Amino acid sequence: MSIVSDLLAQPGVIAAGEYAYRGDRFSYRGALSEEHARMASIMCRATTMGTNMESAMLEALRPGSGLHPPRGWVVRGPGHTVCVMANVFCLLDHTRGSINDIVRLMRQALGDATNELI
Amino acid sequence: MVILDDLMRLPGAMAAFEFRGSGELLEHRIAYPDRINPTTLDLLAHMCSANTSIATMQARGWEQMTAMKGFYPVQEFTLIGFDWSVVVSGLRRERHKQAGRSSLPPFTGVVLANESADYEAAFALLEGGGPAS
Amino acid sequence: MRMIKRLLALDGVNVVCHFRDDGGFVEGYGLMSRDDMVRLARFAHDYRRMIQGNADQLAMFTGMRGWTPPRGWIVRGAAQSVCGVGNLVCMVDSAGAPLNEILLELHEVSHW
Repeated sequence: MSIVSDLLAQPGVIAAGEYAYRGDRFSYRGALSEEHARMASIMCRATTMGTNMESAMLEALRPGSGLHPPRGWVVRGPGHTVCVMANVFCLLDHTRGSINDIVRLMRQALGDATNELI
Repeated sequence: MVILDDLMRLPGAMAAFEFRGSGELLEHRIAYPDRINPTTLDLLAHMCSANTSIATMQARGWEQMTAMKGFYPVQEFTLIGFDWSVVVSGLRRERHKQAGRSSLPPFTGVVLANESADYEAAFALLEGGGPAS
Repeated sequence: MRMIKRLLALDGVNVVCHFRDDGGFVEGYGLMSRDDMVRLARFAHDYRRMIQGNADQLAMFTGMRGWTPPRGWIVRGAAQSVCGVGNLVCMVDSAGAPLNEILLELHEVSHW
């Protein structure tokens, strides 16, 4: 998938890949072991299910919240950030790269992805 | 800690623990250290803290949408795994809130083996009724 | 799966619903409007997936066997409790309902 290649070309990106909404399939490129990429795909799937559930609840209570359907999510730690949009994840060393640039790139490529498969 | 010792007397009790709202493990008891350890309990505590927050959000939303009552506040959340279940309660905290106290006690949890798990007895203990008959 | 209706015969069970793997409502019985049953089924479907994510990650991070695959969940409120097993969800009275028995019955019926 070209977005994965594009992400890997960005400064600070350690790894990027795809995870499946159902089942255990995943693919990745970058400085991650197969096992760690598998773990990342499990975590991404779980968190994406959660954010979709929460935003659907919010939309049911307050229609037009602007948060539904969610496009993705970002978790920022002291030195690393995980950016997820649709079924693509990106692990970034944000001391060497820009979260804004990564999110912009992901939104351009994936922002209109359907969430019907979730 | 009386409540933890009481929880450990439940059928199938593997571990009993207290944890902060932010998930950190506090006091705990473990019956079988070769099966479950404090690191696992800490992770479980963080997971249950998140699940309790989600369940609370759901309960509040549900009552608002349906006008049904009796779901909020959430008293216990239970995850039934393949072999183990974990039951956690924030009821002591809710009672403190209702009494207007600002300093809240921790959450309480117990891990039970499914084949002998008595959920009703666990709920009764966590709700302060003493061991169920 | 009208056999799920038998769950209503248990003390304290007020509603029982069955949903598809994609969360679509199949049928429901008890003291609740159809619209609310559809909402309950959607909620239970989301919870089922949330619990699956919990169990997967718990197993992954701890290496401890016995969490996955998960069997169900219970959210207990002051007056009402909701419990889910498989593609079934029940709403029961928190006081007096024999939850242990209800869970066993849910587990059996969910395999039909």
